[in-house]
Amino acid sequence: MNYSYLPRTLAAAAVSGAMMASATVHAEEVTIGQTFLASGLDPAEGSNGWALVSHGIGEQLFRVSRDGEVVPNLAASATPNDDGTWTVELAPDRFFSDGTPVTAEVVATGLNRTGEANPSARATAGLLTFSAVDSDTLTVATEQPTTILPSILAEWAFPIYRLEGDELIFTGPFAVEQFEPGGSIEMTPNKFYADAEARPDITLRRIADGQSLALAFAAGELDMAFNLPVETLAMLEGKSGNTVSFPVAYQYMMWMNTRTPALSDPRVRQAIDMAVSREDLVTAAQAGVPATGAFAESYPFAAAGPLPYDPAGAAALLDEAGWSLGEDGVRTRDGERLELVVYAYPQRPDLVTFQPVVRAALADIGIAVTTQVTESPSEVAASGEFDLFLWAQHTAPAGDPGLFLSLFFETDAARNYSGWSDADYDALIAELRAAGDPKARIDLAQRAQEMIADAAPVAFLVTPEWHVGLSPALAAYEPWGSDYYVIRPDLGVAQ
Amino acid sequence: MAASAHMLGRLTLSWLAVVAAAFLLLRLMPGDPVEVFLSHVNISAGPETVAAYRVQWGLDGSVAGQFLRWLGGFLTFDWGVSYQTGRPVATDFAARVPYSAAIGFGGMSLAVIAGYALGFLAAHHPDGVPDKLSRSLAVAGQALPAFAVGLILLWVLGVQLRWIDALGGGSVERILLPALLVAFFSIGSMSRLTRAGFLEVKSSPYFRTALAKGLSPLGALWHHGRVAGALTLIAGLAPELAWIVGGTAVAEIVFGVPGLSERVVQAVNHRDYAILQPYIALVAIWMAVALQGARLLRRVFDPRVA
Repeated sequence: MNYSYLPRTLAAAAVSGAMMASATVHAEEVTIGQTFLASGLDPAEGSNGWALVSHGIGEQLFRVSRDGEVVPNLAASATPNDDGTWTVELAPDRFFSDGTPVTAEVVATGLNRTGEANPSARATAGLLTFSAVDSDTLTVATEQPTTILPSILAEWAFPIYRLEGDELIFTGPFAVEQFEPGGSIEMTPNKFYADAEARPDITLRRIADGQSLALAFAAGELDMAFNLPVETLAMLEGKSGNTVSFPVAYQYMMWMNTRTPALSDPRVRQAIDMAVSREDLVTAAQAGVPATGAFAESYPFAAAGPLPYDPAGAAALLDEAGWSLGEDGVRTRDGERLELVVYAYPQRPDLVTFQPVVRAALADIGIAVTTQVTESPSEVAASGEFDLFLWAQHTAPAGDPGLFLSLFFETDAARNYSGWSDADYDALIAELRAAGDPKARIDLAQRAQEMIADAAPVAFLVTPEWHVGLSPALAAYEPWGSDYYVIRPDLGVAQ
Repeated sequence: MAASAHMLGRLTLSWLAVVAAAFLLLRLMPGDPVEVFLSHVNISAGPETVAAYRVQWGLDGSVAGQFLRWLGGFLTFDWGVSYQTGRPVATDFAARVPYSAAIGFGGMSLAVIAGYALGFLAAHHPDGVPDKLSRSLAVAGQALPAFAVGLILLWVLGVQLRWIDALGGGSVERILLPALLVAFFSIGSMSRLTRAGFLEVKSSPYFRTALAKGLSPLGALWHHGRVAGALTLIAGLAPELAWIVGGTAVAEIVFGVPGLSERVVQAVNHRDYAILQPYIALVAIWMAVALQGARLLRRVFDPRVA
């Protein structure tokens, strides 16, 4: 008979007993409206893992903190071994919502199942194979070598769960009571999660349309309306509750195709980068902050910024590159006019809003710009048949800079849309890939951003903001972490 | 018997042509499903991950091979899983159809009852208040955007008057406003159709005879015109019924109802062929059923059609 669970089970019983003895059962209920909802409860399917973590139902071994750092969660530590594998120690006294302890064997079973079924779980380092060494220790073998396993385990594809027949049981601060796919989820505090009595019951309702979400909040039907359209904020002024805005980790940027004759000259790209006022873009989008580099400012590896805005300097760079201003206000070189096409896509309406701002800014320095909108951004970008391409990208979804800096900028990388190639940069990214020390990774990531800024295959433009409506009951709630951590353990009702 | 078999064969061929054309057209839509999915979930994936998803979703191989594989699955009720959610398509449809059906049929029932009554009154007194109301509703149904009307309903009844907990109430409350929205856009056309049927009777000799016999104009119109009014309504109802499956998207989106139509809009945005293809196949079947049903209903009311 296996008695290894006994101490944990007793601990779970003690926690449970304490909860019952306190008799301060969560008295409050809150209703949260969002435009998205988990489609199912199985992390092995679709993007359910993302929604489960966002809803406070599931948790990973590691998570991204408010400061953008990867920190232990259900794990206590992860250390690399000499043979390329990793050893992960589990945090003590963590339980599933049915009171059973989180053990290495259960974790391994769930994550191996997810890895086999869900290609997203294999995106960064190939297939990860988890093996239980003892009840608290796992070894992880990765198909491709990696120095950032904690960051990979913080990706949305890796929530921890236990299969009980067809039922999946999670460890997050809230447990599912009732689930109506596409409609709503009823949740209660997980009794086996610390400070459960401080948390309310939650009804999580999906309202697909942002305008309806705002109206429901205005009608007092919601205690939290997550991601309100910016144009509804004025309507909500004077209503009960308030709205707060917070920067998200998506970055708006503009690729410059270095394969085109005009943009193969770094001086032209630098001129474009300097000619666009990021403040004007923020004004156009009615929200956001000027970008300082590839990553939102909350990340420790974000560039210092600010990025330069210098139209006169931009004009001088174009003069130096041989592009002379013509009588019609457009520059020419050897009889060729400096004309560019800037693409955007309607799936990100802010980018379409940016197009006329970019066109006006570049017209001021003598570049004629025409605008195009495409429904197939990835296809157009991958084809290389563009000059400038306005783009939105979450650049560090798992709290690590490496993937974005390699996948989008290394020579011949799968998503190197700009076609830029620099041997020194490639060497730097190879160094970043091998570096395990977080401080060293921060330094390398910042140096990589400096190299990108110098060569300007891309102009980083704006870090957007989202808007959240909060009733007095949730007045103390502070949004952060984009839509990855909406419902968190610290979500409590104001007294 | 032979005629029925001939008709069934013709319908089957038409259905096959529709689903094959839809299959091809979906693949001509801009936007690759895998790329769309990966961008939605913020995965900066390399080609290996893209290829893995293609295989998992059955997007590898020739289009003809994919179609035959899908057709075989559809006919054996193996409808696959949604690219976006990973849920079985049949389970998803089964959970959502009741909402769409309640909104669609509920709204259409309201529209039929109100439209028939309004059409009768409009025919009784042309250019009177009911007639003008009927005309206004018909114009509004064509001219006003459904989205805007839905938001106005929500604003007035839910926010200002607080008569209804439209987005957070029970199942009846959640269906009520969407059904009203669907009804609003059909009452006008229903009443105009009914009115036309009644007016035809008003110009007939037997109607004048009834008046000469001393029947009141209202009684004579009801007595001689109610079937004619119903027949024109049924003729116009068939195409309206056909779009019920999938035609309630705006109502579902505005009022946050997890119906089938709203799911289809999501599927279009995500290029989720796994949802779109069986949906189109089902709509094609439903349209055939609705049109045939209307034909049968007209035969019941009017034996001359047979």
